[in-house]
Amino acid sequence: MSDHTVAPTKPASQATQIRLLTIRMLRKVMREPAVTIPNLAISVFFLFTYNGAFGSSGVTSFPGVGGNYLNFILPVTVLFSSISGGAAGLTLVADLETGYFRRQLSMPLSRASIVLAAILLGAIQVLVQATLILCLGLLMGADPAAGVGGALALLGFALLWGMGFAGYSVATGLKTGNAQAAQAATFIFFPLMFLAPVFLPMEQLAGWIQAIAKVNPTTYMLEAMRSVMIQGWVASSLIKGLVAAGIFATITLTAAVRVARSKTSRA
Amino acid sequence: MIEVNNLQKTFGKGDEAVHAVRGVDFQVDEGQIFGLLGANGAGKSTCVLMLATLLAPTGGSARVNGFDVLEQPNEVRQSFGAALQETGLDPLQKGVELLELHGRLYGYDKATAKARAADLLETVGLSSDGGRRIGTYSGGMRRRLDLAAALIHHPRILFLDEPTTGLDPASRRAIWEEVSKLKSEGVTVLLTTQYLEEADQLADHVAIMADGVIAATGTPDDLKAGMGADVVDVDLADEAEAIRAAAAVGSEAKVVGNEIRISATDGPAVLARVMNQLREAGIEPKGVSLTQPTLDDVFLNLTDGGSDHE
Repeated sequence: MSDHTVAPTKPASQATQIRLLTIRMLRKVMREPAVTIPNLAISVFFLFTYNGAFGSSGVTSFPGVGGNYLNFILPVTVLFSSISGGAAGLTLVADLETGYFRRQLSMPLSRASIVLAAILLGAIQVLVQATLILCLGLLMGADPAAGVGGALALLGFALLWGMGFAGYSVATGLKTGNAQAAQAATFIFFPLMFLAPVFLPMEQLAGWIQAIAKVNPTTYMLEAMRSVMIQGWVASSLIKGLVAAGIFATITLTAAVRVARSKTSRA
Repeated sequence: MIEVNNLQKTFGKGDEAVHAVRGVDFQVDEGQIFGLLGANGAGKSTCVLMLATLLAPTGGSARVNGFDVLEQPNEVRQSFGAALQETGLDPLQKGVELLELHGRLYGYDKATAKARAADLLETVGLSSDGGRRIGTYSGGMRRRLDLAAALIHHPRILFLDEPTTGLDPASRRAIWEEVSKLKSEGVTVLLTTQYLEEADQLADHVAIMADGVIAATGTPDDLKAGMGADVVDVDLADEAEAIRAAAAVGSEAKVVGNEIRISATDGPAVLARVMNQLREAGIEPKGVSLTQPTLDDVFLNLTDGGSDHE
Protein backbone atom coordinates (compact mmCIF):
# COMPACT_ATOMS: atom_id res chain seq x y z
CA MET A 1 0.00 0.00 0.00
CA SER A 2 1.33 3.42 -0.93
CA ASP A 3 0.53 6.72 0.74
CA HIS A 4 -3.09 7.68 0.21
CA THR A 5 -2.49 11.27 1.32
CA VAL A 6 -0.56 12.08 -1.86
CA ALA A 7 -1.71 12.08 -5.46
CA PRO A 8 -1.22 8.97 -7.61
CA THR A 9 1.40 9.61 -10.29
CA LYS A 10 -0.29 8.12 -13.34
CA PRO A 11 -3.60 6.49 -14.22
CA ALA A 12 -4.17 2.73 -14.22
CA SER A 13 -2.88 0.74 -17.21
CA GLN A 14 -5.34 0.05 -20.00
CA ALA A 15 -5.66 -3.61 -18.97
CA THR A 16 -6.54 -2.58 -15.40
CA GLN A 17 -8.99 0.02 -16.68
CA ILE A 18 -10.82 -2.55 -18.80
CA ARG A 19 -10.88 -5.09 -15.96
CA LEU A 20 -12.20 -2.63 -13.35
CA LEU A 21 -14.79 -1.11 -15.67
CA THR A 22 -16.03 -4.56 -16.75
CA ILE A 23 -16.42 -5.63 -13.12
CA ARG A 24 -18.41 -2.49 -12.39
CA MET A 25 -20.76 -3.19 -15.31
CA LEU A 26 -21.17 -6.84 -14.32
CA ARG A 27 -22.20 -5.73 -10.84
CA LYS A 28 -24.66 -3.30 -12.37
CA VAL A 29 -26.21 -6.01 -14.55
CA MET A 30 -26.42 -8.49 -11.67
CA ARG A 31 -28.26 -5.90 -9.60
CA GLU A 32 -30.94 -5.72 -12.27
CA PRO A 33 -31.69 -9.41 -12.96
CA ALA A 34 -35.06 -8.52 -14.48
CA VAL A 35 -33.18 -7.20 -17.52
CA THR A 36 -31.29 -10.42 -18.29
CA ILE A 37 -33.52 -13.26 -17.12
CA PRO A 38 -36.24 -12.91 -19.83
CA ASN A 39 -33.75 -13.41 -22.64
CA LEU A 40 -32.42 -16.58 -21.06
CA ALA A 41 -35.97 -17.81 -20.55
CA ILE A 42 -36.78 -17.22 -24.22
CA SER A 43 -33.73 -19.19 -25.39
CA VAL A 44 -34.73 -22.11 -23.17
CA PHE A 45 -38.33 -21.83 -24.39
CA PHE A 46 -37.17 -22.07 -28.03
CA LEU A 47 -35.05 -25.10 -27.29
CA PHE A 48 -38.04 -26.94 -25.83
CA THR A 49 -40.66 -25.85 -28.35
CA TYR A 50 -38.62 -26.30 -31.53
CA ASN A 51 -37.45 -29.67 -30.38
CA GLY A 52 -40.97 -30.56 -29.35
CA ALA A 53 -42.48 -29.39 -32.64
CA PHE A 54 -39.94 -30.82 -35.07
CA GLY A 55 -37.96 -33.37 -33.05
CA SER A 56 -40.15 -36.33 -33.93
CA SER A 57 -41.31 -35.11 -37.35
CA GLY A 58 -40.12 -36.14 -40.77
CA VAL A 59 -37.61 -33.31 -40.74
CA THR A 60 -35.10 -35.52 -38.96
CA SER A 61 -34.79 -37.66 -42.09
CA PHE A 62 -33.64 -34.71 -44.25
CA PRO A 63 -30.02 -34.95 -45.27
CA GLY A 64 -28.00 -32.51 -43.16
CA VAL A 65 -30.15 -32.88 -40.06
CA GLY A 66 -28.43 -36.08 -39.04
CA GLY A 67 -31.22 -37.94 -37.28
CA ASN A 68 -31.09 -36.07 -33.94
CA TYR A 69 -33.01 -32.80 -34.34
CA LEU A 70 -31.72 -31.59 -30.99
CA ASN A 71 -28.18 -31.47 -32.43
CA PHE A 72 -29.56 -29.50 -35.35
CA ILE A 73 -31.57 -26.96 -33.31
CA LEU A 74 -29.20 -26.48 -30.34
CA PRO A 75 -26.88 -24.10 -32.27
CA VAL A 76 -29.95 -21.96 -33.11
CA THR A 77 -30.84 -21.48 -29.45
CA VAL A 78 -27.22 -20.88 -28.53
CA LEU A 79 -27.09 -18.24 -31.24
CA PHE A 80 -30.35 -16.83 -29.98
CA SER A 81 -28.79 -16.34 -26.58
CA SER A 82 -26.26 -14.03 -28.24
CA ILE A 83 -28.97 -11.37 -28.43
CA SER A 84 -28.20 -10.91 -24.73
CA GLY A 85 -24.95 -9.31 -25.91
CA GLY A 86 -27.23 -6.38 -26.71
CA ALA A 87 -27.22 -5.65 -22.99
CA ALA A 88 -23.79 -4.10 -23.56
CA GLY A 89 -25.30 -1.19 -25.46
CA LEU A 90 -28.23 -0.85 -23.07
CA THR A 91 -25.91 -0.68 -20.06
CA LEU A 92 -23.93 2.09 -21.74
CA VAL A 93 -27.13 3.95 -22.60
CA ALA A 94 -28.10 3.75 -18.93
CA ASP A 95 -24.72 5.34 -18.12
CA LEU A 96 -25.35 8.03 -20.73
CA GLU A 97 -28.71 8.79 -19.16
CA THR A 98 -27.40 9.07 -15.60
CA GLY A 99 -24.39 11.12 -16.74
CA TYR A 100 -21.98 8.51 -15.42
CA PHE A 101 -20.63 8.06 -18.95
CA ARG A 102 -19.65 11.72 -19.07
CA ARG A 103 -17.98 11.43 -15.69
CA GLN A 104 -15.84 8.63 -17.11
CA LEU A 105 -14.94 10.82 -20.07
CA SER A 106 -13.61 13.50 -17.69
CA MET A 107 -11.22 10.93 -16.20
CA PRO A 108 -7.84 9.89 -17.64
CA LEU A 109 -9.29 6.73 -19.21
CA SER A 110 -8.79 5.49 -22.72
CA ARG A 111 -12.01 5.74 -24.77
CA ALA A 112 -11.34 2.25 -26.04
CA SER A 113 -11.28 0.94 -22.43
CA ILE A 114 -14.77 2.28 -21.76
CA VAL A 115 -16.15 0.73 -24.94
CA LEU A 116 -14.28 -2.57 -24.62
CA ALA A 117 -15.49 -2.99 -21.04
CA ALA A 118 -19.08 -2.77 -22.28
CA ILE A 119 -18.39 -5.21 -25.09
CA LEU A 120 -16.71 -7.66 -22.71
CA LEU A 121 -19.74 -7.40 -20.48
CA GLY A 122 -21.93 -8.37 -23.44
CA ALA A 123 -19.61 -11.23 -24.37
CA ILE A 124 -19.58 -12.58 -20.81
CA GLN A 125 -23.37 -12.52 -20.69
CA VAL A 126 -23.56 -14.39 -23.97
CA LEU A 127 -21.04 -16.95 -22.75
CA VAL A 128 -22.94 -17.56 -19.51
CA GLN A 129 -26.27 -17.94 -21.29
CA ALA A 130 -24.81 -20.11 -24.04
CA THR A 131 -23.20 -22.38 -21.45
CA LEU A 132 -26.50 -22.84 -19.64
CA ILE A 133 -28.32 -23.58 -22.89
CA LEU A 134 -25.63 -26.00 -23.99
CA CYS A 135 -25.74 -27.89 -20.69
CA LEU A 136 -29.50 -28.10 -20.92
CA GLY A 137 -29.24 -29.36 -24.50
CA LEU A 138 -26.75 -32.03 -23.48
CA LEU A 139 -29.04 -33.15 -20.66
CA MET A 140 -31.93 -33.38 -23.13
CA GLY A 141 -29.93 -35.72 -25.35
CA ALA A 142 -27.77 -33.67 -27.70
CA ASP A 143 -24.57 -35.53 -28.56
CA PRO A 144 -21.99 -33.39 -30.38
CA ALA A 145 -20.20 -35.43 -33.05
CA ALA A 146 -16.96 -33.59 -32.22
CA GLY A 147 -17.31 -34.46 -28.52
CA VAL A 148 -16.35 -32.20 -25.64
CA GLY A 149 -14.06 -30.17 -27.89
CA GLY A 150 -17.03 -29.61 -30.17
CA ALA A 151 -19.13 -28.33 -27.30
CA LEU A 152 -16.34 -25.89 -26.38
CA ALA A 153 -16.05 -24.80 -30.01
CA LEU A 154 -19.76 -24.06 -29.92
CA LEU A 155 -19.21 -21.75 -26.93
CA GLY A 156 -16.25 -20.11 -28.67
CA PHE A 157 -18.45 -19.26 -31.63
CA ALA A 158 -21.16 -17.93 -29.32
CA LEU A 159 -18.59 -15.70 -27.60
CA LEU A 160 -17.24 -14.30 -30.86
CA TRP A 161 -20.71 -13.73 -32.26
CA GLY A 162 -21.79 -12.20 -28.95
CA MET A 163 -18.90 -9.73 -29.07
CA GLY A 164 -19.93 -8.75 -32.57
CA PHE A 165 -23.47 -8.25 -31.45
CA ALA A 166 -22.35 -6.34 -28.34
CA GLY A 167 -20.24 -4.06 -30.54
CA TYR A 168 -23.25 -3.40 -32.73
CA SER A 169 -25.42 -2.54 -29.73
CA VAL A 170 -22.74 -0.29 -28.20
CA ALA A 171 -22.34 1.60 -31.48
CA THR A 172 -26.09 2.15 -31.92
CA GLY A 173 -26.57 2.88 -28.21
CA LEU A 174 -23.88 5.55 -28.13
CA LYS A 175 -24.96 6.99 -31.46
CA THR A 176 -28.59 7.43 -30.44
CA GLY A 177 -28.09 7.87 -26.69
CA ASN A 178 -31.59 6.55 -26.25
CA ALA A 179 -32.66 3.29 -24.62
CA GLN A 180 -35.68 2.71 -26.87
CA ALA A 181 -33.69 3.37 -30.04
CA ALA A 182 -30.89 1.07 -28.88
CA GLN A 183 -33.43 -1.63 -28.05
CA ALA A 184 -35.15 -1.20 -31.41
CA ALA A 185 -31.82 -1.49 -33.21
CA THR A 186 -31.29 -4.96 -31.73
CA PHE A 187 -34.28 -6.16 -33.77
CA ILE A 188 -31.91 -6.42 -36.73
CA PHE A 189 -31.15 -9.73 -35.06
CA PHE A 190 -34.42 -11.21 -36.30
CA PRO A 191 -34.00 -10.82 -40.07
CA LEU A 192 -30.36 -11.87 -39.64
CA MET A 193 -31.48 -14.91 -37.71
CA PHE A 194 -34.48 -16.06 -39.68
CA LEU A 195 -33.22 -15.40 -43.20
CA ALA A 196 -30.85 -18.29 -42.62
CA PRO A 197 -31.23 -22.09 -42.55
CA VAL A 198 -32.64 -22.03 -39.03
CA PHE A 199 -35.18 -24.83 -38.89
CA LEU A 200 -34.36 -26.64 -42.09
CA PRO A 201 -31.14 -27.39 -43.97
CA MET A 202 -30.21 -24.87 -46.69
CA GLU A 203 -31.36 -27.14 -49.53
CA GLN A 204 -34.93 -27.22 -48.20
CA LEU A 205 -35.38 -23.43 -48.11
CA ALA A 206 -37.35 -21.46 -50.69
CA GLY A 207 -35.22 -20.04 -53.49
CA TRP A 208 -35.40 -16.38 -52.44
CA ILE A 209 -34.53 -17.18 -48.84
CA GLN A 210 -31.63 -19.30 -50.03
CA ALA A 211 -30.34 -16.35 -52.04
CA ILE A 212 -30.40 -14.08 -48.98
CA ALA A 213 -29.11 -16.78 -46.65
CA LYS A 214 -26.02 -17.18 -48.83
CA VAL A 215 -24.88 -13.62 -48.02
CA ASN A 216 -26.04 -13.69 -44.40
CA PRO A 217 -23.13 -14.21 -41.97
CA THR A 218 -25.51 -16.00 -39.59
CA THR A 219 -25.74 -18.86 -42.09
CA TYR A 220 -22.01 -19.55 -41.85
CA MET A 221 -22.04 -19.27 -38.06
CA LEU A 222 -24.90 -21.75 -37.85
CA GLU A 223 -23.33 -24.17 -40.31
CA ALA A 224 -20.01 -24.08 -38.46
CA MET A 225 -21.76 -24.79 -35.15
CA ARG A 226 -23.86 -27.54 -36.72
CA SER A 227 -20.85 -29.17 -38.27
CA VAL A 228 -19.33 -29.84 -34.84
CA MET A 229 -22.68 -31.11 -33.56
CA ILE A 230 -23.58 -33.37 -36.49
CA GLN A 231 -20.50 -34.17 -38.57
CA GLY A 232 -17.44 -33.73 -36.33
CA TRP A 233 -14.47 -31.54 -37.23
CA VAL A 234 -14.98 -30.09 -40.71
CA ALA A 235 -12.27 -27.55 -41.46
CA SER A 236 -14.06 -25.77 -44.30
CA SER A 237 -17.23 -25.15 -42.25
CA LEU A 238 -15.24 -23.95 -39.23
CA ILE A 239 -13.14 -21.56 -41.29
CA LYS A 240 -16.17 -20.06 -43.00
CA GLY A 241 -17.86 -19.60 -39.62
CA LEU A 242 -14.79 -18.00 -38.10
CA VAL A 243 -14.36 -15.62 -41.03
CA ALA A 244 -18.04 -14.60 -40.96
CA ALA A 245 -18.09 -14.01 -37.18
CA GLY A 246 -14.65 -12.37 -37.28
CA ILE A 247 -15.64 -9.89 -39.98
CA PHE A 248 -18.90 -9.09 -38.18
CA ALA A 249 -17.10 -8.52 -34.86
CA THR A 250 -14.32 -6.44 -36.43
CA ILE A 251 -16.79 -4.16 -38.19
CA THR A 252 -18.98 -3.58 -35.14
CA LEU A 253 -16.08 -3.13 -32.68
CA THR A 254 -14.46 -0.58 -34.99
CA ALA A 255 -17.76 1.26 -35.30
CA ALA A 256 -18.23 1.23 -31.51
CA VAL A 257 -14.80 2.74 -30.79
CA ARG A 258 -15.31 5.32 -33.57
CA VAL A 259 -18.64 6.47 -32.17
CA ALA A 260 -17.16 6.72 -28.66
CA ARG A 261 -14.30 8.90 -29.93
CA SER A 262 -16.59 11.24 -31.85
CA LYS A 263 -18.81 11.47 -28.78
CA THR A 264 -15.94 12.80 -26.68
CA SER A 265 -14.49 15.40 -29.00
CA ARG A 266 -17.60 17.03 -30.47
CA ALA A 267 -20.49 16.40 -28.14
CA MET B 1 -2.63 26.98 -13.22
CA ILE B 2 -5.44 27.76 -15.66
CA GLU B 3 -4.91 29.92 -18.73
CA VAL B 4 -7.75 30.73 -21.08
CA ASN B 5 -7.11 32.62 -24.33
CA ASN B 6 -9.89 33.85 -26.59
CA LEU B 7 -11.84 30.66 -25.89
CA GLN B 8 -14.91 30.21 -28.09
CA LYS B 9 -17.70 27.70 -28.49
CA THR B 10 -20.42 27.73 -31.11
CA PHE B 11 -23.14 25.08 -31.16
CA GLY B 12 -24.81 24.32 -34.48
CA LYS B 13 -24.17 25.91 -37.86
CA GLY B 14 -25.45 28.72 -40.08
CA ASP B 15 -28.62 30.49 -39.00
CA GLU B 16 -29.15 28.15 -36.08
CA ALA B 17 -25.68 28.67 -34.63
CA VAL B 18 -25.61 29.54 -30.96
CA HIS B 19 -22.50 31.40 -29.82
CA ALA B 20 -22.37 30.16 -26.25
CA VAL B 21 -18.86 31.46 -25.54
CA ARG B 22 -17.58 34.34 -27.65
CA GLY B 23 -13.92 34.84 -26.87
CA VAL B 24 -13.13 34.57 -23.19
CA ASP B 25 -9.76 35.33 -21.58
CA PHE B 26 -8.78 34.77 -17.98
CA GLN B 27 -6.05 33.34 -15.85
CA VAL B 28 -6.21 31.59 -12.49
CA ASP B 29 -3.05 31.53 -10.36
CA GLU B 30 -2.04 28.64 -8.15
CA GLY B 31 -3.99 28.49 -4.89
CA GLN B 32 -6.60 31.00 -6.04
CA ILE B 33 -10.35 30.58 -5.94
CA PHE B 34 -11.67 32.05 -9.15
CA GLY B 35 -15.40 32.71 -9.37
CA LEU B 36 -17.17 32.72 -12.72
CA LEU B 37 -20.38 34.53 -12.01
CA GLY B 38 -23.35 34.79 -14.32
CA ALA B 39 -27.01 34.06 -14.96
CA ASN B 40 -28.29 30.88 -16.65
CA GLY B 41 -27.08 30.70 -20.23
CA ALA B 42 -24.21 33.15 -19.74
CA GLY B 43 -21.70 30.52 -20.88
CA LYS B 44 -20.13 29.59 -17.54
CA SER B 45 -20.78 25.85 -17.76
CA THR B 46 -19.69 25.72 -21.39
CA CYS B 47 -16.35 27.23 -20.31
CA VAL B 48 -15.95 24.63 -17.56
CA LEU B 49 -16.85 21.75 -19.91
CA MET B 50 -14.19 22.92 -22.35
CA LEU B 51 -11.57 23.13 -19.59
CA ALA B 52 -12.62 19.65 -18.40
CA THR B 53 -11.98 18.29 -21.96
CA LEU B 54 -15.64 17.34 -22.34
CA LEU B 55 -16.30 19.85 -25.10
CA ALA B 56 -13.93 20.77 -27.89
CA PRO B 57 -13.51 24.56 -28.25
CA THR B 58 -14.50 26.08 -31.60
CA GLY B 59 -11.70 28.61 -31.27
CA GLY B 60 -9.00 29.89 -28.95
CA SER B 61 -7.03 27.78 -26.50
CA ALA B 62 -6.86 26.78 -22.86
CA ARG B 63 -4.21 25.23 -20.64
CA VAL B 64 -4.85 23.45 -17.37
CA ASN B 65 -1.87 22.73 -15.10
CA GLY B 66 0.32 23.65 -18.08
CA PHE B 67 -1.33 21.12 -20.42
CA ASP B 68 -3.28 22.05 -23.53
CA VAL B 69 -6.90 20.84 -23.37
CA LEU B 70 -6.90 19.72 -27.01
CA GLU B 71 -3.35 18.43 -27.36
CA GLN B 72 -2.83 16.73 -23.98
CA PRO B 73 -6.32 15.81 -22.76
CA ASN B 74 -5.22 12.87 -20.59
CA GLU B 75 -2.64 14.95 -18.70
CA VAL B 76 -5.34 17.57 -18.17
CA ARG B 77 -7.76 14.89 -16.90
CA GLN B 78 -5.23 13.57 -14.40
CA SER B 79 -4.71 17.15 -13.10
CA PHE B 80 -8.24 18.20 -12.23
CA GLY B 81 -11.19 16.97 -10.24
CA ALA B 82 -14.65 18.14 -11.23
CA ALA B 83 -18.05 18.35 -9.62
CA LEU B 84 -20.34 19.32 -12.47
CA GLN B 85 -23.92 20.55 -12.40
CA GLU B 86 -25.33 17.13 -13.19
CA THR B 87 -23.68 14.82 -10.72
CA GLY B 88 -23.51 11.79 -13.05
CA LEU B 89 -23.79 8.97 -10.54
CA ASP B 90 -24.91 5.40 -11.17
CA PRO B 91 -27.85 4.66 -8.84
CA LEU B 92 -27.04 0.94 -8.70
CA GLN B 93 -23.49 1.55 -7.46
CA LYS B 94 -22.63 1.90 -3.77
CA GLY B 95 -20.94 5.10 -2.62
CA VAL B 96 -17.83 3.33 -1.42
CA GLU B 97 -17.59 1.29 -4.64
CA LEU B 98 -17.58 4.49 -6.70
CA LEU B 99 -14.74 6.03 -4.67
CA GLU B 100 -12.64 2.87 -4.58
CA LEU B 101 -13.10 2.24 -8.29
CA HIS B 102 -12.16 5.81 -9.19
CA GLY B 103 -9.18 5.77 -6.83
CA ARG B 104 -7.85 2.75 -8.68
CA LEU B 105 -8.59 4.19 -12.13
CA TYR B 106 -6.57 7.30 -11.25
CA GLY B 107 -3.70 5.01 -10.32
CA TYR B 108 -3.84 3.94 -6.65
CA ASP B 109 -3.39 0.29 -5.79
CA LYS B 110 -6.29 -1.57 -4.18
CA ALA B 111 -5.37 -1.00 -0.51
CA THR B 112 -4.50 2.67 -1.05
CA ALA B 113 -7.74 3.31 -2.91
CA LYS B 114 -9.66 1.71 -0.04
CA ALA B 115 -7.94 3.92 2.55
CA ARG B 116 -8.49 7.04 0.44
CA ALA B 117 -12.18 6.22 -0.08
CA ALA B 118 -12.72 5.72 3.66
CA ASP B 119 -10.97 9.03 4.39
CA LEU B 120 -13.08 10.95 1.90
CA LEU B 121 -16.36 9.41 3.03
CA GLU B 122 -15.51 10.69 6.48
CA THR B 123 -14.56 14.15 5.16
CA VAL B 124 -17.93 14.58 3.45
CA GLY B 125 -19.86 12.97 6.32
CA LEU B 126 -20.99 9.84 4.49
CA SER B 127 -19.05 7.19 6.46
CA SER B 128 -22.17 5.37 7.56
CA ASP B 129 -23.82 5.60 4.10
CA GLY B 130 -20.96 4.38 1.92
CA GLY B 131 -22.30 0.83 1.84
CA ARG B 132 -25.67 1.89 0.47
CA ARG B 133 -26.60 2.20 -3.19
CA ILE B 134 -26.40 5.75 -4.51
CA GLY B 135 -30.01 5.46 -5.68
CA THR B 136 -31.08 5.72 -2.04
CA TYR B 137 -29.15 9.00 -1.42
CA SER B 138 -30.78 12.40 -1.03
CA GLY B 139 -29.82 15.28 -3.32
CA GLY B 140 -27.48 16.76 -0.71
CA MET B 141 -25.78 13.39 -0.14
CA ARG B 142 -25.22 12.98 -3.87
CA ARG B 143 -23.58 16.40 -4.04
CA ARG B 144 -21.27 15.50 -1.18
CA LEU B 145 -20.37 12.14 -2.74
CA ASP B 146 -19.79 13.96 -6.03
CA LEU B 147 -17.38 16.33 -4.29
CA ALA B 148 -15.59 13.37 -2.68
CA ALA B 149 -15.26 11.72 -6.11
CA ALA B 150 -13.79 14.95 -7.49
CA LEU B 151 -11.15 14.93 -4.75
CA ILE B 152 -10.21 11.24 -4.93
CA HIS B 153 -6.81 11.73 -6.61
CA HIS B 154 -5.74 14.86 -4.69
CA PRO B 155 -6.16 17.08 -7.75
CA ARG B 156 -4.25 20.39 -7.78
CA ILE B 157 -7.17 21.95 -9.63
CA LEU B 158 -10.84 21.66 -8.87
CA PHE B 159 -13.74 22.63 -11.16
CA LEU B 160 -16.97 23.25 -9.30
CA ASP B 161 -19.89 24.02 -11.60
CA GLU B 162 -22.65 25.55 -9.49
CA PRO B 163 -21.82 23.33 -6.52
CA THR B 164 -24.57 24.66 -4.29
CA THR B 165 -27.45 25.27 -6.72
CA GLY B 166 -30.61 23.80 -5.24
CA LEU B 167 -29.05 22.97 -1.87
CA ASP B 168 -30.48 23.93 1.49
CA PRO B 169 -28.55 26.58 3.48
CA ALA B 170 -26.89 24.03 5.79
CA SER B 171 -25.56 21.89 2.92
CA ARG B 172 -24.43 25.05 1.14
CA ARG B 173 -22.54 26.16 4.21
CA ALA B 174 -20.89 22.71 4.45
CA ILE B 175 -19.70 22.91 0.83
CA TRP B 176 -18.37 26.45 1.42
CA GLU B 177 -16.40 25.24 4.41
CA GLU B 178 -14.92 22.36 2.43
CA VAL B 179 -13.91 24.71 -0.41
CA SER B 180 -12.24 27.11 2.05
CA LYS B 181 -10.36 24.20 3.56
CA LEU B 182 -9.16 23.07 0.14
CA LYS B 183 -7.92 26.58 -0.56
CA SER B 184 -5.89 26.48 2.64
CA GLU B 185 -4.32 23.26 1.31
CA GLY B 186 -3.25 25.12 -1.83
CA VAL B 187 -5.82 23.71 -4.26
CA THR B 188 -6.73 25.98 -7.16
CA VAL B 189 -10.49 26.25 -7.60
CA LEU B 190 -12.56 27.41 -10.56
CA LEU B 191 -16.08 27.92 -9.29
CA THR B 192 -19.15 28.92 -11.25
CA THR B 193 -22.15 30.29 -9.48
CA GLN B 194 -25.33 32.26 -9.90
CA TYR B 195 -25.11 33.39 -6.31
CA LEU B 196 -23.34 36.67 -5.73
CA GLU B 197 -23.09 35.92 -2.06
CA GLU B 198 -21.21 32.74 -2.87
CA ALA B 199 -18.70 34.49 -5.10
CA ASP B 200 -18.27 37.28 -2.54
CA GLN B 201 -17.77 34.76 0.24
CA LEU B 202 -15.35 32.37 -1.48
CA ALA B 203 -13.64 33.89 -4.49
CA ASP B 204 -10.37 35.82 -4.53
CA HIS B 205 -11.06 36.89 -8.05
CA VAL B 206 -14.34 37.17 -9.89
CA ALA B 207 -15.23 37.34 -13.58
CA ILE B 208 -18.79 38.25 -14.43
CA MET B 209 -20.05 36.55 -17.58
CA ALA B 210 -22.97 37.68 -19.69
CA ASP B 211 -23.89 36.53 -23.21
CA GLY B 212 -20.75 34.47 -23.65
CA VAL B 213 -18.25 37.19 -22.80
CA ILE B 214 -16.63 38.43 -19.62
CA ALA B 215 -18.31 41.70 -18.76
CA ALA B 216 -16.09 42.60 -15.79
CA THR B 217 -13.29 41.07 -13.82
CA GLY B 218 -11.43 41.84 -10.61
CA THR B 219 -11.48 41.13 -6.90
CA PRO B 220 -14.93 41.39 -5.33
CA ASP B 221 -13.77 44.63 -3.65
CA ASP B 222 -12.46 46.12 -6.91
CA LEU B 223 -15.72 45.40 -8.62
CA LYS B 224 -17.72 47.01 -5.83
CA ALA B 225 -15.45 50.03 -5.76
CA GLY B 226 -15.82 50.40 -9.52
CA MET B 227 -19.54 50.86 -8.95
CA GLY B 228 -19.16 54.17 -7.16
CA ALA B 229 -19.02 54.44 -3.42
CA ASP B 230 -22.67 54.46 -2.48
CA VAL B 231 -26.03 53.05 -3.43
CA VAL B 232 -29.33 54.76 -2.83
CA ASP B 233 -32.31 52.42 -2.44
CA VAL B 234 -35.83 53.78 -2.47
CA ASP B 235 -38.61 51.45 -1.37
CA LEU B 236 -41.96 51.91 -3.12
CA ALA B 237 -45.49 50.57 -2.83
CA ASP B 238 -45.27 48.16 -5.77
CA GLU B 239 -43.41 47.46 -8.95
CA ALA B 240 -45.57 49.74 -11.10
CA GLU B 241 -44.84 52.57 -8.73
CA ALA B 242 -41.14 51.70 -8.85
CA ILE B 243 -41.18 51.90 -12.64
CA ARG B 244 -42.84 55.36 -12.47
CA ALA B 245 -40.28 56.45 -9.92
CA ALA B 246 -37.40 55.28 -12.09
CA ALA B 247 -38.78 57.29 -14.99
CA ALA B 248 -38.97 60.38 -12.80
CA VAL B 249 -35.36 60.01 -11.59
CA GLY B 250 -33.77 59.20 -14.95
CA SER B 251 -31.74 56.49 -16.62
CA GLU B 252 -29.35 56.01 -13.69
CA ALA B 253 -32.18 54.48 -11.64
CA LYS B 254 -32.77 50.73 -11.93
CA VAL B 255 -35.92 48.92 -10.91
CA VAL B 256 -35.29 46.01 -8.52
CA GLY B 257 -38.64 44.56 -7.48
CA ASN B 258 -40.48 47.21 -5.51
CA GLU B 259 -37.35 49.33 -5.24
CA ILE B 260 -35.36 51.66 -7.37
CA ARG B 261 -31.61 51.69 -6.97
CA ILE B 262 -29.16 54.45 -7.93
CA SER B 263 -25.36 54.09 -7.76
CA ALA B 264 -23.32 57.24 -7.15
CA THR B 265 -20.03 58.46 -5.75
CA ASP B 266 -21.73 61.18 -3.70
CA GLY B 267 -24.58 59.30 -2.05
CA PRO B 268 -26.00 62.02 0.25
CA ALA B 269 -26.29 64.63 -2.54
CA VAL B 270 -27.93 62.13 -4.87
CA LEU B 271 -30.31 61.09 -2.12
CA ALA B 272 -31.47 64.69 -1.63
CA ARG B 273 -31.90 65.16 -5.38
CA VAL B 274 -33.85 61.92 -5.80
CA MET B 275 -36.23 62.83 -2.94
CA ASN B 276 -36.95 66.13 -4.68
CA GLN B 277 -37.57 64.47 -8.02
CA LEU B 278 -39.97 61.99 -6.45
CA ARG B 279 -41.88 64.68 -4.59
CA GLU B 280 -42.27 66.67 -7.83
CA ALA B 281 -43.62 63.54 -9.55
CA GLY B 282 -46.04 63.01 -6.67
CA ILE B 283 -44.53 59.72 -5.59
CA GLU B 284 -44.49 58.82 -1.91
CA PRO B 285 -41.53 56.54 -0.98
CA LYS B 286 -42.11 53.93 1.74
CA GLY B 287 -38.50 53.92 2.81
CA VAL B 288 -35.08 55.14 1.80
CA SER B 289 -31.60 53.80 2.46
CA LEU B 290 -28.05 54.71 1.60
CA THR B 291 -25.55 51.79 1.52
CA GLN B 292 -22.17 50.63 0.34
CA PRO B 293 -22.52 48.58 -2.87
CA THR B 294 -22.67 44.78 -2.86
CA LEU B 295 -21.62 42.43 -5.64
CA ASP B 296 -25.32 42.29 -6.46
CA ASP B 297 -25.17 45.86 -7.67
CA VAL B 298 -22.19 45.16 -9.89
CA PHE B 299 -23.93 42.15 -11.32
CA LEU B 300 -27.24 43.83 -12.05
CA ASN B 301 -25.43 46.74 -13.56
CA LEU B 302 -23.57 44.51 -16.01
CA THR B 303 -26.25 42.02 -16.89
CA ASP B 304 -29.79 43.25 -16.35
CA GLY B 305 -29.47 46.92 -17.15
CA GLY B 306 -26.20 46.57 -19.05
CA SER B 307 -27.42 48.55 -22.06
CA ASP B 308 -27.70 51.72 -19.98
CA HIS B 309 -24.04 51.61 -19.16
CA GLU B 310 -22.49 50.87 -22.52
